[in-house]
Amino acid sequence: MSNNKVSRRQFLSYTLTGVGGFMAAGMLMPMVRFAVDPVLQKKEGGDFVLTEKKIADITEVPERVDFTFEQVDAWYKSDITNAAWVYKEGDEIIALSPVCKHLGCTVNWEADPAHKNQFFCPCHAGRYEKNGKNVPKTPPLGPLDQYEVRENDGFLEIGKAIPNTLV
Amino acid sequence: MHWNGKDSTVFQTQKEYIDTAVIPLIQIDGSDEGFRFAASAAEFTLSLANVIENQFKGRIVLFPSFSYTKSQDKQSIFETWQEELNKASFKHIFYVTSDRDWSTMGEEQNIIWIPSIPLDSMDQKMRNSVLEDQLRQLIPIFAKIWAN
Repeated sequence: MSNNKVSRRQFLSYTLTGVGGFMAAGMLMPMVRFAVDPVLQKKEGGDFVLTEKKIADITEVPERVDFTFEQVDAWYKSDITNAAWVYKEGDEIIALSPVCKHLGCTVNWEADPAHKNQFFCPCHAGRYEKNGKNVPKTPPLGPLDQYEVRENDGFLEIGKAIPNTLV
Repeated sequence: MHWNGKDSTVFQTQKEYIDTAVIPLIQIDGSDEGFRFAASAAEFTLSLANVIENQFKGRIVLFPSFSYTKSQDKQSIFETWQEELNKASFKHIFYVTSDRDWSTMGEEQNIIWIPSIPLDSMDQKMRNSVLEDQLRQLIPIFAKIWAN
């Protein structure tokens, strides 16, 4: 025992520091996680869906592009097909949601022969300009929503719906 | 609008805009030779009804399908639906069916008869495009009746 380099006092203080350190870490870890939690959170709805539309094929005339994604509703999984009206404005690609802001019908491009160059909702004759702006004195009260878009290997990808940024 | 709690709340506050009822009519056939065909026709009619609902969401209420057997009296089916839906003040009632027997009932009843296309061998994409094609032909029919 006499050749032991660590005294009893030292041994105790090392042990206490060690154990205390673990305890402090054990308490702090969850707190740190709480603090940085927003960063670790997985983004919902931010995923992009690949469509079969080639970027090069998009013209200045709005064209309907369908895209399908899986929706989980409690235990029930289903494939949802949504559509977007896609066109080119200069170099920028615009994708508008086809859902009428009045009561949720589907709008069509130039469906009303009397109003060229506009989106038309067949339910209550609501109309929108090409950039999605609702035409005054028709039932809709707001512009069409827009989709986030990006390019992936020459094909169009469509993201989540955002409020119209063109109007 | 679907026939559910949430949509019916919207319906009751927006009656001025939502003035049309759509009812799919489905024939039930228990016989050996008709069973499969009737089931396939029902699948088509219900899928089409859903596509119609998606297009005209803000103007129609899609009711649950009405199923009947061949021996039931079709005229009385009409009358009871008509009577009940008038209470909810629908201006138009459309019936969607692929049962040929209804097509002879006359135009004035707003029967939309569409011959059934067997969807069971198609994949999702093909189905959608077939249903979209059918829908495109239906839009003018709806628009015409609404315009009157």
